[in-house]
Amino acid sequence: MILCSVATRGRYFTTLPLTLQAIINQTHKVDKLIIFDDNDEPQDMRNELIYAHFFQMLDIKGIPWEWVYAGKQGQHHIHQMANSMGYEWVWRVDDDAIPEPNVLKRLYSFTTFFDKVGAVGGSILTPPVMDTSRVSGTIDLIDLEPNIQWGMIEGYKKVEHLHCSFLYRAGVYNYNLNLSRVAHREETLFTYGLHKKGYGIYAVSNAVSWHLKNPSGGIRSETKREMYEHDEKIFRTHLQFKDYTVVVLNCGLGDHIVFSKVLPKIKKPLVFTCYPEVIEGKSIAEAHSIFGNLDQWNIYGQMDKWKWSQSLEKAFERMYL
Amino acid sequence: MIVISPYSRPLSNGKNNPKNYPFWEELISMIEEPIVQIGVEGEAQLVEDFRKGLPISQLKELLHECRTWISCDSFFQHLGWIEGKKGIVLWSVSDPLIYGHPENTNLLKDRKYLAGNQFLWWEAYDHNAETFVSAREVFKCL
Repeated sequence: MILCSVATRGRYFTTLPLTLQAIINQTHKVDKLIIFDDNDEPQDMRNELIYAHFFQMLDIKGIPWEWVYAGKQGQHHIHQMANSMGYEWVWRVDDDAIPEPNVLKRLYSFTTFFDKVGAVGGSILTPPVMDTSRVSGTIDLIDLEPNIQWGMIEGYKKVEHLHCSFLYRAGVYNYNLNLSRVAHREETLFTYGLHKKGYGIYAVSNAVSWHLKNPSGGIRSETKREMYEHDEKIFRTHLQFKDYTVVVLNCGLGDHIVFSKVLPKIKKPLVFTCYPEVIEGKSIAEAHSIFGNLDQWNIYGQMDKWKWSQSLEKAFERMYL
Repeated sequence: MIVISPYSRPLSNGKNNPKNYPFWEELISMIEEPIVQIGVEGEAQLVEDFRKGLPISQLKELLHECRTWISCDSFFQHLGWIEGKKGIVLWSVSDPLIYGHPENTNLLKDRKYLAGNQFLWWEAYDHNAETFVSAREVFKCL
């Protein structure tokens, strides 16, 4: 089951209609389309003729659709909502990306071509098209090379991160909700997280989306420099610890004891702990100073989100393995 | 010798933790073996031998010395499990399928008493003696 999610802001009458038309015209139908409307003053688009046509086409094609008024917290919150809706795959499409009709079919075909696929993305082209044939797509070179998706991809390449629009396996890794409303680097952090969790990330040929930069609107239309700096700091911190599995045990003594069963299974753990007599590690105060908000490691918060009914031990395994 | 761990952590709102077993006195009166109570300063003393604030290492030693242990849903049931010492856990609102271990004897009166949301603060729930099994049932398992 594939959910297509489109996060939109300020583009009702520019690129969003092009994006929606492109989604409707895919040769592989999505199982559901949700438009997450993050506008400050959202409108009822059923009253707009062009949108009424879109909705009619969706109905005729049998594609369930929903228009959700989002919380204006940033697109990472939107993507996380889509990520946790119970679909196996989510195809995220930016509101200024125009996928060619074969894109979803092509991306989806790779989900069974390899074992344990985490995400598949095609070319995201903004003229003039770059030559990215020698790009590695590794996180270590992110500052030194262009994104592989900015050019025509040949064949397929296993990479470590994607950007913009791609198809991903839902419900196995969370978006980083510590980012600011501009959610700078959110897709890099997300796909790299999937990669770190052992899922394959692929950039594939013959799946072109046109990314026609629109001068106005956009889900990142905030321009506050501090927000970008805040998000960049989070990203750089992740890079700093990228070779480790960061474990933050900001929880009770009993939880630490249960976690001790899981710890030996974790690759290169870097542990922050409340009870060093049970689990050795750095202090939670240090985790706070490095990572800021620690919510993403709150095992109870995660179990609540997952509607968890299995054991606490298995919840820790889901979080860290 | 039997170790008892009667109390879960105090709640921030000062109310009785809904996981605290209410029939300890009755249960203790039925047990003829020596009993060691473990806990922290401020908790009610139920037996003569009350050892407060023991470090984990000494709690582990105690676990290996005892015949078995009885605990509410607190860290101690996890410690018994990790040390491979089977015991009895007295449940009420928290779910033994999530927080318990099948190696222990998990006494839950009825799943209808489980808290609707298992992941919120326990401060959100009132203590209710009705939600626990009787002292006699615990003694039978012992």
